[in-house]
Amino acid sequence: MVCQRIMFYRYFVPHLLIPHQNIQILKPKLSFQMARASSYNYYHNLSAATDTQTNFPIKQKFSSFITDSEIQSEFSHHDPGVARINNGSFGCCPASVISALQQWQLKWLRQPDHFYFNQLHKGILKSRITVKELINAGDVDEVSIVDNATTAVSIVLQQMQWAFSEGKFKKGDSVIILQCAYGAVKNSIKAYFSRAGGYVIEVPFEFPVTSNEAIINEFRMALVKEKASGRRVRLALIDHVTSMPSVVLPVKKLVKVCREEGVDQVFIDGAHGVGCVDVDVQEIGADFYTSNLHKWFFCPAAAAFLYCRKSLTRSDLHHPMVSHEYGKGLAIESSWIGTRDYSPSLVVPSALEFINRFEGGIEGIKRRNHDAVVEMGEMLADAWGTNLGCPPEMCSSMIMVGIPACLRVSSDDDALKLRTHLREKFGVEVPICYQMPKNGQVAMTAGYARISHQVYNKVDDYCRFRDAINQLVCDGFTCDH
Amino acid sequence: MASSPDHHRNHTHTLNGDSKAHASKKPKLSFITPSEIASEFSHHDPNVARINNGSFGSCPNSVIEAQRRWQLTYLAQPDSFYFNELKKGILHSRTIIKDLINADHVDEVSIVDNATTAAAIVLQQAAWGFSESKFEKGDAVVMLHYAYGAVKKSIEAYVTRAGGYVIEVPLPFPLNSNHEIVSEFKKALEKGKANGRRVRLAVIDHITSMPCVLIPVKELVKICREEGVDQVFVDAAHSIGCTEVDMKEIGADYYTSNLHKWFFCPPSIAFLYCRKSPKCVELHHPVVSHEYGNGLAIESAWIGTRDYSPQLVVPAVLDFVKRFEGGIEGIKKRNHDTVVEMGHMLAKAWGTHLGCPPDMCASMVMIGLPASLAISSEKDTLKLRTHLREKFGVEVPIYFRPPKNGEVESVTGYCRISHQVYNKVDDYYKFRDAINQLVSDGFTCALLSN
Repeated sequence: MVCQRIMFYRYFVPHLLIPHQNIQILKPKLSFQMARASSYNYYHNLSAATDTQTNFPIKQKFSSFITDSEIQSEFSHHDPGVARINNGSFGCCPASVISALQQWQLKWLRQPDHFYFNQLHKGILKSRITVKELINAGDVDEVSIVDNATTAVSIVLQQMQWAFSEGKFKKGDSVIILQCAYGAVKNSIKAYFSRAGGYVIEVPFEFPVTSNEAIINEFRMALVKEKASGRRVRLALIDHVTSMPSVVLPVKKLVKVCREEGVDQVFIDGAHGVGCVDVDVQEIGADFYTSNLHKWFFCPAAAAFLYCRKSLTRSDLHHPMVSHEYGKGLAIESSWIGTRDYSPSLVVPSALEFINRFEGGIEGIKRRNHDAVVEMGEMLADAWGTNLGCPPEMCSSMIMVGIPACLRVSSDDDALKLRTHLREKFGVEVPICYQMPKNGQVAMTAGYARISHQVYNKVDDYCRFRDAINQLVCDGFTCDH
Repeated sequence: MASSPDHHRNHTHTLNGDSKAHASKKPKLSFITPSEIASEFSHHDPNVARINNGSFGSCPNSVIEAQRRWQLTYLAQPDSFYFNELKKGILHSRTIIKDLINADHVDEVSIVDNATTAAAIVLQQAAWGFSESKFEKGDAVVMLHYAYGAVKKSIEAYVTRAGGYVIEVPLPFPLNSNHEIVSEFKKALEKGKANGRRVRLAVIDHITSMPCVLIPVKELVKICREEGVDQVFVDAAHSIGCTEVDMKEIGADYYTSNLHKWFFCPPSIAFLYCRKSPKCVELHHPVVSHEYGNGLAIESAWIGTRDYSPQLVVPAVLDFVKRFEGGIEGIKKRNHDTVVEMGHMLAKAWGTHLGCPPDMCASMVMIGLPASLAISSEKDTLKLRTHLREKFGVEVPIYFRPPKNGEVESVTGYCRISHQVYNKVDDYYKFRDAINQLVSDGFTCALLSN
């Protein structure tokens, strides 16, 4: 029965939710999948050459999409004792990509000089081209590969620091961010922008979120206020998918607002972006866009890209680790920052190969992740009598679910304690955040869990989390212990 | 195995069969054997005479395995790894390094990717010095003419751009003595202080890259102190595992060295030592994370999601190194003695000379290439290097030394040979024979296409 439910969620529901596909084309597949639903081992026990339900001849290569057991095998290195529902923090990497990674590493170890002179640059270029096509950039020159979004942010902000020192910006010129911007990003702004004399505007961010409109209005109000004060807004740094709490922001609209209100440059921090939400840089229209590839694009730690729209004078952007490639453009500078292991940057094509084994490729994965995580989120909210942190259309492959108020998460420390407790006592890995209730409000709950769904997840993972919390509630557990 | 026994290598044999063996054979006193060494480096391309350890270093299989174990631990459960294992592991590595380099306090030791990163950290701080008016426009930074290319660019990117004045200390090559270096350095400092300028930073190589020479850093640091240089940064990319590295002895404010070159770590890991002193300036890692403001060592231990495994295997490397007689000291000494021996052998075979006296080399030595090869530019050196790699299976970097006025038929090309534990005499014979072949074929660099 449980297996049937798993199969139901995994296979049947996504098919139902695809509105535009020709159902006739789907039919054989659907019944195949349903047949599968009735017995977990159906596929593996197939000896007949026909599907007994439809008498449809089954070609072994009929669906050469990755199978469930192949997925298991690809992630067999994951700790089996853990309900790993936190793909958002550190991502994941399948065995076939790890194998590709190790092959690159061995090439280097075997003859590093030859690797450096003859293989490295070609490999990085191939990765950059893959990314360029993925994100619909105009030109591969616009795409640099860096370690992670944290690095990308430092690169853009260091340019701003020089602008202040060199008199391009005036003391007091500002940067606008949302209150929920990632901690490291806020620090980077402090380290480069504020230190150089800039002013930081933080747009308040209400959570739980009810609509895109509320966010856009708040943002526009802040910009209008700045204009009125005569301050120049040099940069808007906006998350595509915020971290904690996690919400998909209407970046295309926000970029438009920035252009309308005279913001010099817009930088979208899409740390979660690629593989989680749609990333079309021309559509979005920002000047800079960064995304990690190790979170939702199956690359190993760590690989990310920084996209810089060509129309800008980009000659000023530099990688902070200066090598002999200094001055040749950010993409070239980033491809050699001293001796290091570049293999995570080199396996992007291998990650794409892995992804294309899934039905619908990355689009299919995104869709199924989204649908499954919404389903699981609703299941948990129902089970606990809490709420989701935002409407389903404002989340991606992650969703915020309220933690029962009786657990008394009343500070960041409490959130961390609860997270540790869940990991150590229940084998559940899930980040928890504390949302300070607004003045005068009695929130239904102040603690939210951010659950993720990725291809390796099973319904069981979420059931375990559900049961763990129910247990804690039942035991009268509170965070102030 | 080498075709002719190398008496240095027999040192590492077990005592079995050695006619000078001690009377009592202790089976447990087993240093690593040549076949174990070969096995540790079995992933090296067997067709290549790999005499360029200086560029990219090397990493034995047992350390690679240790690295894989760390990587798998992360992959199995990254959150638990981050919260429970990473910081401890980095601290362990830093503590080992602190002991290796004779630093006073582990707080003084930060782990970074490589010396290139360390240079960016120190120089970024200098740039702030100019922007925040701690320094005056025109204040000077002194560096050696033979400073590493990336470091020169870093100085341009941070110091020149911020308004600093850069002085290069010219050094002759070939070199005959430390005195030549010291006198040029003193002259450069004079220049630095001219017109009321302050010398804010001296960037000194411990071992220059190309051409490769051991610089008397202790003496130069002393001169810097005497001449009122604010801070001294020693770029010792090669040093650890190659030459003496004692922070208190050397006395610099900042000191960096790669551990993946001569200390058997995988790419990449380096340390940046920052002396604790009252005039110590707060350094920051350029990649800012949530650890910003907690001190460079803590900032560097988390710069966003990445593979930190190269920084975690230092204990495994120490285990490896201890399997050799004399540990890292023994390795250093044998590398030095062997590379000098090989250098002499090659210079004799080609009728050329070494680039500097043996006591100014560590585990690498520069040897003049026959003038008939007609190396006339840096481009030629790269072409010849590629030719040696592709046609002869020899990996060795080459340096162009422009002829001085009046010099005729001089040696304009020098190769830099390295010796590391995996090398064999055969590697150098292969190189000797390749060059002899080129000479006897009447080869010149002009013959090579672009």
